[in-house]
Amino acid sequence: MRPKRQDKKTGDFEDPLSNYDPPVFADPLEESLTDALTELDTTPVEMVDSSTTVGEAITRMSDRNIASVLIVDDGKLKGIFSERDVLYRVSDQFEQIKNEPVTTVMTQNPQVAYESDTPAKALNLMVTGGFRHVPILDADDNVVGIIGPRRVTRYLQQYLKTD
Amino acid sequence: MGLQKSINEETVGDLPLLKPICVEPSVTVREAIQMMRDRKLGCVIVKDENRKPQGMMSERHLIKLLPNGQAFLDDPVEKHMSELWASVGESESIAMVIHKMQYHGIRFLCVVDDQGKVVGQTGQKGVMRYIAEHFPHQVKVQMMESKLYMDQREGA
Repeated sequence: MRPKRQDKKTGDFEDPLSNYDPPVFADPLEESLTDALTELDTTPVEMVDSSTTVGEAITRMSDRNIASVLIVDDGKLKGIFSERDVLYRVSDQFEQIKNEPVTTVMTQNPQVAYESDTPAKALNLMVTGGFRHVPILDADDNVVGIIGPRRVTRYLQQYLKTD
Repeated sequence: MGLQKSINEETVGDLPLLKPICVEPSVTVREAIQMMRDRKLGCVIVKDENRKPQGMMSERHLIKLLPNGQAFLDDPVEKHMSELWASVGESESIAMVIHKMQYHGIRFLCVVDDQGKVVGQTGQKGVMRYIAEHFPHQVKVQMMESKLYMDQREGA
């Protein structure tokens, strides 16, 4: 067994973490990037199940004025269907596939973040991964929210004077 | 320099600007869609003969139009574009870019020169990249594989 760490002068036990310096942030925005992701608005999140048709999903997006819907069965994420999927896979063949299930044109296995992650993690996925919308899961992998550029920008704007 | 100071002092020219897709008003929506796919961009800018922006069509327009059928695909893009659309001068501050996007509720901004001619395009993605560049330690140093716990215990 390793001997306990002792102070050389007094011989008392010295906790190696007792003089740990917490990180110092030069900028409040930088500090905010280490908050919990739940500090952002991660809801409302629009979800449909895998039996939803392409036409129904697009109508939902149009009615709610949103850029994506999550395809969720029993709380578990199956995929995401976004404006970009509409542009690439639907726009010029809408009449042929509007009654097909949305699962045929959705993006499967999207990158996700957990609610215990930080805004920095979400920003990383968006910037380096190029994902505009990142679903948020809880510890049991249930969908609890989604973040997109507008929500991230709105969150960051709290720390910036832009007007 | 802190981020607050940077976004007030640095200009749009310091953002990663994209080369926009500029089209004539008579181009069809179908052709515009193909250009967006080819260039992997979410919008086209409709310009007049003097390269001045007249409007914009984005992926969002497709979402709004598709529930009524796809007959619009052969219409000229000017019929469905948004005419009221914000632009930003290349010498304006990055703070102004963020403010205009939030104020107008839009994703893209057209960047124009002193004569009002289109010189680039920026948007939410460009601003997020700018912020990420500012905090590389916080943002760029992240595990790509997000998992709360290990599948197996580490070590022997």
